[in-house]
Amino acid sequence: MPYSVEKKGGESRADSMVVCMALAVLVALSSFQVLADDMEVAGFVENATYNRESYGISKFRNTAQAEFAKDISGAFNTSSLRFNATLRVTYDGVYDLNDDQWGNKAGGSIMLENGTFGPPVPYGGGAKFAVNGVPTGFPPTLGFPPSTDFTPFFGSPQSPNAMFGLPNVDSLNNPNEGLEVLGAHLGDLNGGVTFGVPVQPCNKDKRGCKPLKNYMDLDKNEMAWSDFNDQQDWIREFYLAGNYDLKSGNQLGFKLGKQQIVWGRTDLFRVLDVINPVDYSRNNIYDELEDIRIPQWMAELEYRWGATNFFDDANLSFVWNFDKFRPANLGQAGQPYQILDAGSLFRGLSNCWQNGCTVSNFPIPGPEGGLAGLGAVDFGPGVIGIRDVDLPDWSLSNTQFGVKFEGLINEIGFSLNFLETRQQLPSLHGDVESIDPFNPFAIANYDYALAFDVEFPRVTLVGGSLDLYWDEIKSAFRIEVAGTDGEEFADTSTPELYSESDVIRWVVGWDRNTFIPFLNKNRAFLISAQAFGQHLLDHNESLGAVVPGLPPPGKVGMAENEDNYLFTLLIQGWYMNDRLNPQLIMAHDYESGHTTVAPAIEWLLDDNWQFTLRANYKLNDGVSKWDDNRAAIPYPGLSAALTGGATTALAGTPSNGSLRGVNPLGRFADGPLGMAQEEDEIQLTIRYRF
Amino acid sequence: MKVYSKILTGFLLSGLAASGWAQDATMEDVERSFHPYDFETPQTGALQPGVVVTQANVDEIAKDFLDEGMYQMVKDGWVELTVGKLTSIPLNEKYIDATRINLNTATLGEQVGELNGYVAGRPFPTPPNLEDPRAGEKLAWNYRFSLHFGDSGAIGPFYWKYRDMESGKVEKTLKMEFNAYNWKHRTLEPPIPQVEDNPGDLFRTIYMRVDEPFDVKNTQLLIHRYDNDLKRDNAWLYLGFQRRVRRLASGQITDAFLGSDLMIEDFEGYNGRISDMQWTYKGVRWMLVPFYEHNEMVLGDEFKEDDGFQYITFGGKGGCFPNITWQVRKQYLLEARPVDSSHPVGHRDIFLDAQTFAFSRINIYDRGDKLWKMWFINQGPDYASMPANQGRGVPVYDGFGMMDIQAMHCTTAQMRTEIHPERVTPKRFTPQYMRAVGK
Repeated sequence: MPYSVEKKGGESRADSMVVCMALAVLVALSSFQVLADDMEVAGFVENATYNRESYGISKFRNTAQAEFAKDISGAFNTSSLRFNATLRVTYDGVYDLNDDQWGNKAGGSIMLENGTFGPPVPYGGGAKFAVNGVPTGFPPTLGFPPSTDFTPFFGSPQSPNAMFGLPNVDSLNNPNEGLEVLGAHLGDLNGGVTFGVPVQPCNKDKRGCKPLKNYMDLDKNEMAWSDFNDQQDWIREFYLAGNYDLKSGNQLGFKLGKQQIVWGRTDLFRVLDVINPVDYSRNNIYDELEDIRIPQWMAELEYRWGATNFFDDANLSFVWNFDKFRPANLGQAGQPYQILDAGSLFRGLSNCWQNGCTVSNFPIPGPEGGLAGLGAVDFGPGVIGIRDVDLPDWSLSNTQFGVKFEGLINEIGFSLNFLETRQQLPSLHGDVESIDPFNPFAIANYDYALAFDVEFPRVTLVGGSLDLYWDEIKSAFRIEVAGTDGEEFADTSTPELYSESDVIRWVVGWDRNTFIPFLNKNRAFLISAQAFGQHLLDHNESLGAVVPGLPPPGKVGMAENEDNYLFTLLIQGWYMNDRLNPQLIMAHDYESGHTTVAPAIEWLLDDNWQFTLRANYKLNDGVSKWDDNRAAIPYPGLSAALTGGATTALAGTPSNGSLRGVNPLGRFADGPLGMAQEEDEIQLTIRYRF
Repeated sequence: MKVYSKILTGFLLSGLAASGWAQDATMEDVERSFHPYDFETPQTGALQPGVVVTQANVDEIAKDFLDEGMYQMVKDGWVELTVGKLTSIPLNEKYIDATRINLNTATLGEQVGELNGYVAGRPFPTPPNLEDPRAGEKLAWNYRFSLHFGDSGAIGPFYWKYRDMESGKVEKTLKMEFNAYNWKHRTLEPPIPQVEDNPGDLFRTIYMRVDEPFDVKNTQLLIHRYDNDLKRDNAWLYLGFQRRVRRLASGQITDAFLGSDLMIEDFEGYNGRISDMQWTYKGVRWMLVPFYEHNEMVLGDEFKEDDGFQYITFGGKGGCFPNITWQVRKQYLLEARPVDSSHPVGHRDIFLDAQTFAFSRINIYDRGDKLWKMWFINQGPDYASMPANQGRGVPVYDGFGMMDIQAMHCTTAQMRTEIHPERVTPKRFTPQYMRAVGK
């Protein structure tokens, strides 16, 4: 075995799972015993089996969920008090049933495009950067045995291993096995930059896992038993909700515990509904938010005036999320559902940092200076990639806080919202200490270098919502708008390769119940359409400079569009007393042009059995390209190489946008719909409710 | 003293000649309206308490006391009706007093849905007259301001069963809570006459929550009806799986509610605006209707309640008919025809109880005026209900059946009704309450 299989660790995790499950059952049972009297219990068991075209089974998820509720009004002198708990156990068998796609046998050996230097080369077979025709050789490059579980040690002369190409930890190699080419599933990458992504679970293949510790480093059991993790997500909810009737006639309500707190009025789009992070690894953006919100330990205090002499309803609520910050779960390389394919991008980058990697179609200086062409290049560890994930520790100052004033006036529902939170999607901060690949003894913060830490910046959100009914057109409207301060976006024009932008997001939803007599004369169809808009107030985009030897310049800056719009349409009908429910969901991304169509039919056989058959098809192929920063000159060594040793002054030159590709930033332009274009699926769910 | 002077004024006013049909009520009209059986009793022939009307004898003894739909069902052997005794259901004296005090103060406006000068009580106690072109509209107003729940009420638990009429299979069972609260024109319970903080000028609010089964658990419905009938109701729906309050489009109140055979518009008999219908009075009928003393019925033990309350049971074709006694009562036949030409209903024939002004039997016709649904709402006197309701002076809902005879499907309900429960307060009828109660 060229790289170790951490069987022991995997087994111990499995044991932990069993212990966790046992504990879960015990806690549930003991809770049940203590609170058994009048305890309301409901729940379901479910199997969801999805089949993806060309891939086979993409989900074989088995879920048992139990919901407990008990009225304990009067306790703590409350006017009403209720205990609620939701426990969920999920096992996804896809990692066993289709393990050559997602599991221990996933991936394989790969070839990477070699640009102008000839046919593709195997992973590890790229060129080494050379100075005056002599490969630098350091730090250790791919296939330089023994390769590495390499963590460069910076800032001190006592880093001999790094300096001399020896592994810090003599454990894993970095072979051409268990890999996929980043973005290859999208089709022709058109000469863009790619690299290999280890796609087996982290217990089987550790490459790229260490820099993503506690973020995207799941082993197989953690993927399969996704609710059993360090945050005990099998406890979906566990909270007390109550209120005090005050002498004034008003009420003071509270909710305390692990819970979901939902703001906003729209479906699918999360403009105000951003308190809980969400788990996109479950089914991308397509599952109900109810099932993919990640519950947090929070407190909510709410003062309810009810009807006043001015408002028909008014209340003011405070939310304190005192849980440790958790980002959205984007999915991990080797999982069937990854939003924006981000898990693969991150793990590939992390592997590059950790072990080195071959990057396709990269500019290679000629022996006498100038550009020899584009070819596959082997980068050693510590040069490019993701170095670390900076997940904020728990501290009082790292907790999140929100205020909402909500009410009803003149038949218009409204809310005003404020939230001090964090960006739940990652921001890649460049300009971290890395190695000049032309001079392994030169370690510095290089502007425009593709070396990153993952950060989750503070964000302040101010927004509001409305709902109203317009009788003339028999329609209800829902509106949300939010402005944020502090969000960060990839930006190839800045030395750190990211910049901040204020963002305005809005959604307008339109609901109309419409009889379509020839389809159903007794039951109206729900037609619900939504338009979502996003505007980056500090959008940064410009045309790069002309650079001799490179193709004509292109746009540089933020890959994210300054303005983008998404549209959704839901048409839902009901037959057989709502026991047979067909529906059609469509979503269209205006800028990328991608469209998803998801017809479904749900059949409620009786009070217990429910069958849902759904398809999820994407209508458009094609990928977007963006400046991939290959044209940047981050290093003095590169400057010297390009100028035949004349100068290092070109170091710190930004990309001129002349070299572009799908990876890594085109995905932001394609969005979640476009990046899932090869994920056409048939989905069957069978649920037994009790 | 003030009350008596108002009553005296009412007497004086009642003697005045007035134009049209609006101001000719007398105190005798009031007495006749609230105590009809002190003045007249039905001549039922063989239709005496204890007699069972069957397909064999319906032509002979009961045809004149049944509407066309019920007659056909008995004739087809779908149901047998056991005759019960006539039970007067006198309404609360406070409400009757309010009628006396405010006699002849309410007048119809120019257009349907306009009511001027109404304060409280029964606005039009005068017997309806077929010559009065707006008699139907007055009956509708009487229904709107009647004591359906007193000033507030709750049904909880409220069990709905969806049944296949052919096979009798119960397809779905819902457990719910239903609340209603009057914000204005209150006569029985403080605050009287109205809730002060009411900037929207609400008349009545309805709240409904589903507790079972799992797929619709935590679904909540809220309806705001305004005192100005010309103003469109506002309605909100909270869906448990979305955890959001959504504004309902008005189309949804004429849609099958949660897949049942009822529209939201059917709640309590008719749950829409007066101005949404053209109302036509069609005359007096003495009818067999589902009024009875709850505690005299054979009750079931399918559902257990802490207070020992037991529910009526259902039988007959598909299990769609209540196992109760039916009594002959005075009914006003009222036709309600939707103004909106796209409304799924062609018209409703409504039998309005002349004493309580509750809807007891309704036949619903489709757009082709073909009989579509049959709707009966069981109710009875408070003295035969649970202890907390006794003496309230309010008829007590006890169950219902809505049969879609075109689809051969029905929805039945068993009710535990409480009049003026403490938990039903204005705070319960806000969108925020739905969010707070919902998961």
